[in-house]
Amino acid sequence: MAGGEGPVAECREHLFKVLVIGELGVGKTSIIKRYVHQLFSQHYRATIGVDFALKVINWDSKTLVRLQLWDIAGQERFGNMTRVYYKEAVGAFVVFDVTRGSTFEAVSKWKHDLDSKVLLPNGSPIPAVLLANKCDQKKDGSQNPSQMDQFCREGGFVGWFETSAKDNINIDEAARFLVENILANYKTFPNEENDVGKPKLDLDPLKAESKSQCC
Amino acid sequence: PSAFSDVPTNCKVIKSSSEAQLSRTAEEACVRTPLQKQQSLPLRPVIPLVARISDQNASGAPPMTVREKTRLEKFRQLLSSHNTDLDELRKCSWPGVPREVRPVTWRLLSGYLPANMERRKLTLQRKREEYFGFIQQYYDSRNEEHHQDTYRQIHIDIPRTNPLIPLFQQPLVQEIFERILFIWAIRHPASGYVQGINDLVTPFFVVFLSEYVEEDVENFDVTNLSQDVLRSIEADSFWCMSKLLDGIQDNYTFAQPGIQKKVKALEELVSRIDEQVHNHFRKYEVEYLQFAFRWMNNLLMRELPLRCTIRLWDTYQSEPEGFSHFHLYVCAAFLIKWRKEILDEEDFQGLLMLLQNLPTIHWGNEEIGLLLAEAYRLKYMFADAPNHYRR
Repeated sequence: MAGGEGPVAECREHLFKVLVIGELGVGKTSIIKRYVHQLFSQHYRATIGVDFALKVINWDSKTLVRLQLWDIAGQERFGNMTRVYYKEAVGAFVVFDVTRGSTFEAVSKWKHDLDSKVLLPNGSPIPAVLLANKCDQKKDGSQNPSQMDQFCREGGFVGWFETSAKDNINIDEAARFLVENILANYKTFPNEENDVGKPKLDLDPLKAESKSQCC
Repeated sequence: PSAFSDVPTNCKVIKSSSEAQLSRTAEEACVRTPLQKQQSLPLRPVIPLVARISDQNASGAPPMTVREKTRLEKFRQLLSSHNTDLDELRKCSWPGVPREVRPVTWRLLSGYLPANMERRKLTLQRKREEYFGFIQQYYDSRNEEHHQDTYRQIHIDIPRTNPLIPLFQQPLVQEIFERILFIWAIRHPASGYVQGINDLVTPFFVVFLSEYVEEDVENFDVTNLSQDVLRSIEADSFWCMSKLLDGIQDNYTFAQPGIQKKVKALEELVSRIDEQVHNHFRKYEVEYLQFAFRWMNNLLMRELPLRCTIRLWDTYQSEPEGFSHFHLYVCAAFLIKWRKEILDEEDFQGLLMLLQNLPTIHWGNEEIGLLLAEAYRLKYMFADAPNHYRR
């Protein structure tokens, strides 16, 4: 490796497993495709089981973050399968569709499922961000911000965003916010298992050459 | 004007822009030149199913050989006899059914149509009436509270069933699919509608439609057909799909025990036939459930072009317990087919991206034939000798 044991020794690489959950058809796959591939299509097929995607973020000059995104099928019929999927996750997006009230009602169910199956090493819930998706189709007065803030406080969400995968609204912002929360946890418990990747002494030269942030 | 008129008949060309490539290069693209990459991408992702649906090899439709003509004759003879010999029909169908006789052969193989010639017409008439009786009786209940969730899920999934094939974007076709799935779901409350079942209607619908369509089925406008014809296609698709699902019901009941069992069985089988691949998965903590759940739940339909699924089902319907048992060996053969690519991947992420985007877009009858032969070999080596090769 080009870097050897030189001055870049402080660089850190993290691998974070992040879940994307919520009712079927709320746009989980679309959000991920927008975030990772900068693409939108009306034509994604329903996710069966789980799909994987990876997003690499040059977080700052010293930190590379790899987000391993687990896109989990909205129709969960496998009983305990989410337990298998949730294992070792350090963050989550819970998504609902602003045009369908029933998907918002299911948010608490998903959050509860999450908290009952995965915890941080210190026993606290993993940071979860609530996404009110399809906001481009929003009818007037659907999400009252102060009500949503309260809902998040009571429901244990670290925050919420109105998003649109179609119009690329707030997806990067929501991801950045979640990663900040994950990193904050990591700093509190730096030696715990929640950092799946091992801190590296030198940077992969291929990645080091890119200075721009892509998230 | 077809959305796919620019798709060459030889689909090997498309491969480079498949979703598989997309996700596999995503990481690089993101780090290096996000903008450039974005512009070079097509507006819609190209999905394998745009390849010709019908049963040709991907290299186009070759002229019929003498052997194929003889085979077709053999089928015609079997099908027109007073009492079709179903054992013989299965034997002939195993290596693939000629397109011309596939609709009637499938109806017979699935157990929908009786072997006795004289009873066929009446049976069809009766079953079609029975199906439309269900529609009349139950379909209005889709908006009632106790069926609302079922209908809503189906309604969301139908537009995203084969989303890139124009045929399936037609309102009439989508309505047919909704009716078939809704009636099946409420008549099978132990499972109800489970995502993936929507895919399973497709091969039947396409095959039964092909009886009336000379040109490419995927671009056919169904408003050209009479209502009677459409109703027959709909009812036949419903009954044949029901027969198929009868054999794999435990795939879709609560906690999907059939799938759990089959994924475990696949793991067990692969550990015996290819220890190296099995250990490679273990090394990188890849669990079979993470990729094979979909293989079982959708009978490999998400991994193969539709024309290949249709060919595969010729055999599944000829093989005893084809969909429920033989499928396992097909999955094992399918996995091992990619052993080199698998062993080349050196991390969890790379392995999962590979396994969820296997490059089968150019596949045709030849590849499926080889896959089935290998599956058959595995079945006979391992089926009744569970510890045969255990070290």
